Amino acid sequence: MPNASTALLQGTLDVLILKVLALEPMHGLGISRRIAQVTDGTFQVKPGSLFPALRRMEDAGWLSAAWGESVNHRRARFYKLTAVGRRQLREETDQWARIAAAMATALSTS
Amino acid sequence: MPIWRRLRAVWNNLRRKQRVESELDAEIRSYREMLEDERAHDGAPPEVARREALLELGGAEQIKEEVRDVRAGASLESIGIELRQSLRGLRRNPGMSLVVIGVLALGMGASTVVFSIFQSVLLKPLPFRDSDRLAALSETRLARGIDQASFSEANFWDVRSQNRSFEEIAAYHSDDVNLTGYGPAEKVTAIAISAGFFRALGVSPILGRDFSYDEDRGPSTQTGWIGKRVVILGNRFWRTHFSADPSALGKVLRLNDESYTVVGVLPPGEPWINEQIYRPFGYRPNANRGSWEFSVIGRLRPGASLESARSDLQRIADVLARDYPKEDKGIGFRLAPSTTWIATESTRRALWVLLGAVVFLLLIACLNIANLLLARGMARQREIAVRTALGAGRGRLVRFVMLESLLLSAFGAVFAMALAYGVLRVIRALEIRGIPRLSDADLNPWVLGFAAAIALLTGVLSGILPALQAPVRGIAASLREGDRQTGSRGQGRLRAILVTAEVALSFFLLVGAGLLIRSFTRLTNVDRGFQTENRLVFSVSMPGSYWENGVGKEFLDRFFARLSAEPDVIGVGAVSSRPVEGWDPGMGIDSVSSPANQQAPWAGWRIVSPSYFHAVGLPLLRGRVFDENDKPVWRERGQPEPVRRVVISDRLAKRIFHNDDPIGKRVVLWKGQSSGTAEVVGVVGDSRERGPAAGPTLTVYIPYGVNALTSEFVIHTRSHPLTLAPVVRTIVASLDPNLPVADVRSFEEIMQRSVAPQRFNVILLGVFSGLALLLATIGIYGVLSYSMSRRASEIGLRMALGASHRSILRLTLDQGLRPALVGIVIGVIGAWWLSRYIATLLFDVKPFDALTYAAVMLLVVATAMAACYLPCRRAMRTDPASALRLE
Repeated sequence: MPNASTALLQGTLDVLILKVLALEPMHGLGISRRIAQVTDGTFQVKPGSLFPALRRMEDAGWLSAAWGESVNHRRARFYKLTAVGRRQLREETDQWARIAAAMATALSTS
Repeated sequence: MPIWRRLRAVWNNLRRKQRVESELDAEIRSYREMLEDERAHDGAPPEVARREALLELGGAEQIKEEVRDVRAGASLESIGIELRQSLRGLRRNPGMSLVVIGVLALGMGASTVVFSIFQSVLLKPLPFRDSDRLAALSETRLARGIDQASFSEANFWDVRSQNRSFEEIAAYHSDDVNLTGYGPAEKVTAIAISAGFFRALGVSPILGRDFSYDEDRGPSTQTGWIGKRVVILGNRFWRTHFSADPSALGKVLRLNDESYTVVGVLPPGEPWINEQIYRPFGYRPNANRGSWEFSVIGRLRPGASLESARSDLQRIADVLARDYPKEDKGIGFRLAPSTTWIATESTRRALWVLLGAVVFLLLIACLNIANLLLARGMARQREIAVRTALGAGRGRLVRFVMLESLLLSAFGAVFAMALAYGVLRVIRALEIRGIPRLSDADLNPWVLGFAAAIALLTGVLSGILPALQAPVRGIAASLREGDRQTGSRGQGRLRAILVTAEVALSFFLLVGAGLLIRSFTRLTNVDRGFQTENRLVFSVSMPGSYWENGVGKEFLDRFFARLSAEPDVIGVGAVSSRPVEGWDPGMGIDSVSSPANQQAPWAGWRIVSPSYFHAVGLPLLRGRVFDENDKPVWRERGQPEPVRRVVISDRLAKRIFHNDDPIGKRVVLWKGQSSGTAEVVGVVGDSRERGPAAGPTLTVYIPYGVNALTSEFVIHTRSHPLTLAPVVRTIVASLDPNLPVADVRSFEEIMQRSVAPQRFNVILLGVFSGLALLLATIGIYGVLSYSMSRRASEIGLRMALGASHRSILRLTLDQGLRPALVGIVIGVIGAWWLSRYIATLLFDVKPFDALTYAAVMLLVVATAMAACYLPCRRAMRTDPASALRLE
């Protein structure tokens, strides 16, 4: 069930978007659908959260955007990872791994 | 995000805002369309697809708003928008905006002026190196009641050579000399200093060099002790006489017919280094030990303290008292640290009082504006409600309301700076004596910083109450059309409290101003003893050559004769030291029959021409004035001992001889320093030689003569005294073209200048309190008319039920005067408590002066009633029907 708090979601949303875009450039709806897919439906990202995040990451220089054509020949804005974005993805992935390992250790010993 | 990237993002977003907005719009639309496609692909009909797409999308406007918030530079943008809206709001209410800006400009301008003065006079450090190591030395004769006297020449040299606590001690003596050769003859103040003077202060000339230690040896001349013929110029003199030209170095000046070479120029600054010309004097073996003429300063050795220096000086004092029992009997020394050099205690106190007054004024201004903004708060209820609906949090709302008051404050600050600049220029032009460094007050960076700080503070203080009042609840009610509930009761009470505070603060200021005004009136009405109407005063200083061969006396006699021949002249008199403004040389004087070791009264002595008393209007009470046969008390070279005769003032006669007739009795002159005696031939009325604030002085008058010349002249004229000035110059020029006529003033002007600092205080405080009262009045008016408009329906009801006009009047008056009366009560208590700080500034007035308090109370009540007039009248004119209908 998608029940994560907003604060948690901002940090996770960023890294999820980066991960998703690492494979190929996508437009907004595509990103949203892909995130739902790779998290087995846990995270359903609404446009109200998605667009601000995309804007932020674009301003930070992690993404670059350009208008293009979707598979259904709709005009859409496609987002692509930049080199800086790739580095950010690597860093955040490492950080997540560390956090996850720490939590696992902490929660397993009781 | 790294800073440069952020800046670039901000820049991009702001610049291409239009395109960014439309792109976002397009992107959201495209998202929705793709959602529709998805639904349609799953088999939904077009309308269903559209509806479901919209549902999933959420609100497009909200999304846009969220994105806008996140965008780099968003807060900047929103502030920019709010700023523009605030500006528009201010423009919509031009009357209120102008009033507020005006009030702020006055309050902040006044504060800036006072702070600038404060900073220049008290806070600015002295222009000397390590000025906390500097002190001024003076001689004392505590047994005779003298706790501060100038040094004698010989004592100075002895202290300099025998002390162990100072790394340098130097002396300073002021002379008037005639400068010739640079345009018309001019009287110039030439300071004789020992060679280490500037070194002791830690001041270096900005051009040329300082005196060297061997330059104080030079040929002895008539004036005795001037060393080598070199001078250093003061900075202002260099600017006025040499146009700040560096080639002034090496030029030759003729002072008293002697040539001096310019070797250096000083930097500007006060004190000590702001005189016109400096020349060196040096040690001579038979220096005078009896005449107190030199100011002495010293720089403490590293490791020495004021205390250790004091005991060191005491040791020297004991040695001197033993070695020179006649001149140095009972000698002591006094050290005054450099912190006392700039401002006397009373100047300091006066400035603190002014600063306090202007802070009150500024507070009143803030309260007033808060009041006004609160009043406007109601009208913006709806606007605030709309913003809340659009998602503004409390912080945003506070920021929005505060922005308005900050904006007003910023505008006010701009005008305040202009006002302050103008006022400071006026102050500089007035050249008020008695407050040092006053003319240096300007808008320097410190002052501007202070102004910015108070602008910020004022904006925050004025805005904080209305901002906190911004309601976040009850949006629906605020948005409802036709809601006439104009604000809560609590708001009305809050405003009344603000007004009470305003009235109380104004009361303090008014009482302060009233006390100072009374004090000043008393001061200027003091009987000076002189007759000051139609008296012209000027000085003609004579060079050393006039003291030989009777040249000076002959000049004086001819001068008197020529002046007396003028039709406009009633009387001509001359004196050695200008009354009120001039030096105050003194002596111990006592009856010959009083014991030798009894403490003698200290009297000021003056050399006068016989007609002086008549010229200044001092009445002859007993005996006679001088005539041609009376000679000076000093022996002329080559002449036998003169027959000494003096005239004394009434108070001195009573001091010495009590109720006996002094005429014909003999007195000892310069008691303790010499043994000459003189006969008292006359007693004249008392005068206040040191200005109105000091008591009547004890004075002894000595006849003029060949070896006792007078340089100050008082002429009793028929018409306006200054009209005689050109005539005087012509006569002097015809007698000797090299004699400058200087410091030409009317006696009235001299008396006014002597109270210039007090007048300055009175004017400033008067202006502040007037402004304060005005603001408080506006406050009372505002609060009352607001509460009356709130109660319009109640009044209508009362009138419909038969209430008379008188009872309505009483109702409104009661409401309007209540905050004022409470304010007065608080004001009386507070003023009584605060007035102790002003006590030292008052002349002949007690701090709790009943008349002043009563007058101020009356004034405040009267103004409060005047403020209530319009609202009362409007209340009484209420048409009951329409008032009730407006419910």
